[in-house]
Amino acid sequence: ADQNWRFANLYGRGTAFGEIYENLAKNIEANTDGAVKVQVLYSGEGVGTTGILGAVKSGLVTMGAPFQSMHAGELPAGVVEIGLPGGTDNTDELHELFYDKGWGEILKEAYGSQGLVWLDPYIQPPVYIITKEPINSVEDFKGLKIRAPGAYGKFLRNLGASPVSLAWSEIYTSLSTGVIDGSIGSNMIDHRDGNHVEVAKYMYKLPLAGAQVLPIVVNRNAWNKLTDEQKEEVRAATKTHAEEQLTKSKKWEAEAVAEMEAKGLKWSPEPSEADKKAWAAAGAGLWDEYAASDEYSKRLIDVLRAEK
Amino acid sequence: MMSIEVLTGVLLVCILVSFALGAPVGLALGGIAMGVGYITWGDALFNVIPTTLEGTYFSFILLAIPLYIYMGQLLTRSGIGDAMFSASQLIIGKVRGSLAISVIIVCSMIGAMVGIIGAGIMTSGSIALRPMLERGYDKRLALGVIMAGGGLGILIPPSIPMIMFASSTQNSVGRMFIGALVPALITIILLIAYVVISCKLNPKKAPLDKVPEVPQTPKQKLLTLRDGGLSLLLIVAVLGSIIMGIATPTESGAIGVVGAIILAIFFKRFKPKMVQSAGLRAAVLVSVAMWIIFGATVFSNFHLLMGVQNMVAGFTEDLGLPPMMVIVLFQIIMLLLGFIIDEFIIVLMCAPIFTPIAVSLGFDPIWFGILMILNIEIAVQTPPYGFALFYLKGIAPPGITMLDIYRSVTPFVLIKLLVLIIVMFNPELVTWLPDKLMN
Amino acid sequence: MLLTAMRLYCAVVHRVVEFVGKSVSYVMPALAFVVAFEVFSRYFLNKPTIWAYDLSLFMFGYIAALGGAYAQQRRGHINVDILYNKVSPRVRSLFNMFSFALGIFFLVIVCKMSIGKFEEALEFNYRRQSEWAPHMHHFWVMIAIASTLLIAQLSSDWLDDAVHLFTGKRLLPERNFDDEDDA
Ligand code: NA
Ligand code: NA
Repeated sequence: ADQNWRFANLYGRGTAFGEIYENLAKNIEANTDGAVKVQVLYSGEGVGTTGILGAVKSGLVTMGAPFQSMHAGELPAGVVEIGLPGGTDNTDELHELFYDKGWGEILKEAYGSQGLVWLDPYIQPPVYIITKEPINSVEDFKGLKIRAPGAYGKFLRNLGASPVSLAWSEIYTSLSTGVIDGSIGSNMIDHRDGNHVEVAKYMYKLPLAGAQVLPIVVNRNAWNKLTDEQKEEVRAATKTHAEEQLTKSKKWEAEAVAEMEAKGLKWSPEPSEADKKAWAAAGAGLWDEYAASDEYSKRLIDVLRAEK
Repeated sequence: MMSIEVLTGVLLVCILVSFALGAPVGLALGGIAMGVGYITWGDALFNVIPTTLEGTYFSFILLAIPLYIYMGQLLTRSGIGDAMFSASQLIIGKVRGSLAISVIIVCSMIGAMVGIIGAGIMTSGSIALRPMLERGYDKRLALGVIMAGGGLGILIPPSIPMIMFASSTQNSVGRMFIGALVPALITIILLIAYVVISCKLNPKKAPLDKVPEVPQTPKQKLLTLRDGGLSLLLIVAVLGSIIMGIATPTESGAIGVVGAIILAIFFKRFKPKMVQSAGLRAAVLVSVAMWIIFGATVFSNFHLLMGVQNMVAGFTEDLGLPPMMVIVLFQIIMLLLGFIIDEFIIVLMCAPIFTPIAVSLGFDPIWFGILMILNIEIAVQTPPYGFALFYLKGIAPPGITMLDIYRSVTPFVLIKLLVLIIVMFNPELVTWLPDKLMN
Repeated sequence: MLLTAMRLYCAVVHRVVEFVGKSVSYVMPALAFVVAFEVFSRYFLNKPTIWAYDLSLFMFGYIAALGGAYAQQRRGHINVDILYNKVSPRVRSLFNMFSFALGIFFLVIVCKMSIGKFEEALEFNYRRQSEWAPHMHHFWVMIAIASTLLIAQLSSDWLDDAVHLFTGKRLLPERNFDDEDDA
């Protein structure tokens, strides 16, 4: 029988990323010869950004592209999956981690324990910090108030900064009036869309997480209604989607940076070797804490440790 | 399966029937969504409840509502709010309608503090409604002024819907904030002009003689002026805390609460009981507002999950109309959407669909965004369904009926419609100031 | 006999709802204090807290949800009263019976889903996504209680209106709230 799926993502209708998800939906329909029809729901269209995981789990929507940091309280392992601060940006290394070293299997279990089917992950560009004043050395982070939720906040605290919790829609006003001295954005595109460069000029060169690995999740009951063939067809579509994300997001990231530079974005000076060391140390300091948070996180981090 | 057009029709009929029967708005919207949803979708739809609960109750932006309402209640109960208006009466009391004028000015200042409609209307209503009614003002004039002034919160920066518009269409928030200033000023001037003219034509609307306690002696007058000045200082302090980067617009409400308590102690008007009684009234108002927001969001989430956004998107494809007609048509669509959904969803849904079309027709996106904000202001104030109407009803004294409210907003909605039309045909009113200041 | 039982039920519901409503009002100043403290701590001590953000949202949620039943008791929930004010009191009771039933239907679903979510929160140890990561389970218990209280209040009002529709008399004496609290 034909399936009608609802697919929720975090991006706005008409945005560049939104189109990639639209393409995934079309590919699933094409691959399954129209047996699985997918309606894309954009930001604000029925499911809030923090509600995607729960909505897929309960079956309110069939498929979702969640941003794991929003679900740190529901599925802590997702925060390790997306990439703890200081993690690698090498796509080959990441591929190995997920497909050869066992992360994929662990995550299948982690998501599976909550009634979710974990499909091929995709990579999005890294998280950067924008500040009102230039950061000349890591020391300059001391005492800065930076909007950075969850793991990113802990990381910045390790560097001596004061992480602040703020609603996304208050970042602009808060940077402009000086409530905060800086803010992270989900990626460069997020910084551009939020117009942060109008009120804060300096981007720090070191990304907080090298690359972000995001999953596509499907409600298990809906998934089990597919034939084995259809399951493979949907998986094939998510593979194509992952490739498209990688090529397009690099291009869009470059475009976003160019646009912000045209609006006056400057880069803080190149970090020294000592800065890079301090940066990596701040990231590694989080491993123990996250490993202690739950069983799946521990198993993921054990794999990371074995590698070192 | 029911088509989205038919479903929308069914939902509208259900809303109209339950509203006509006088059902509590939030509960009715939730009940209709669950009932119609169960028939068309099944019990899987019930899962919309938890995500919606989390989405609405954990919205930091909405936190401005309790904080500002509580500040408003403290100001009223301590008499500080009245002091502000008594002082203004001492200065311009001879002008007919002067109190309504000072209310508009105070509302504009509150509008400059808050970024959402609900906080603006309920705060203005808490402080300014009673002084006007006590002085014998026509209740429709009084209500309309609160509604029109309180609604300015999203037109005067900072404004949450503007930030949402700018980010979803990749435009400058700064340009939008500055671009809104001239239209906001025009709106304020027209509102004041309307009050002056309508009170001249019908003096009964704003009697000059019915003042509760007129300060007689020079000493009393001096005290009134001092109290008024100090309470104005509170507004300055709250605004200052935002501008100086001490607090975000949402948090500034808490500064206002602390300031109101300090002022009350200073005025020797502080009673511990006041903290609780203001808290009780504020809690009831917050609860009323949030149950409406929750029910309405359940309703609109259901409607969106069923695909109403695709209906709107489909409707605007290949219009083949002259450019200005397209803009007019967009305004009409948004006004109609205002009958069923809230301000944030209108922005999230329409900005990305409409703006690229407007830009491709050669229009300025910032101008189009300001039109959208002006439009939303009207949409939430037009009967039968509009959040601003419900907020105003919540804050109004018991004797005021919904019909009073519908009637009271009519002239003010027309003024805002006039501003919308003026701005629509004179884009430079929006673009001039940002061009001047930013380039 | 039946009337006495109904009267007793309504009286108990009214007392409980009123007690909860009035208790919640003390959370309001505490909420303002928490937010003001965060501003103070961040600006003057340069030490933003990790707990004020979530704590203030929880307090907001508790006030907003738990106050609902008390607002209904005071008939504070907003309705469009145009036709409603024009009809006779008994027809109004008929209208109310429809509206309150619709509201109860909605709230039963809210309550049921919240209990489900509570069990899920316990099973998977759900927390907020913030650094502070407070538990979520109590929020779902609170929503279940808030909707139950509102259901109880609506059912009591529904009974009152049913009796009024059939007998022309009210179950409980009318109360006037405005002089009591709205000073
Ligand atoms: Na504002
Ligand atoms: Na409307």
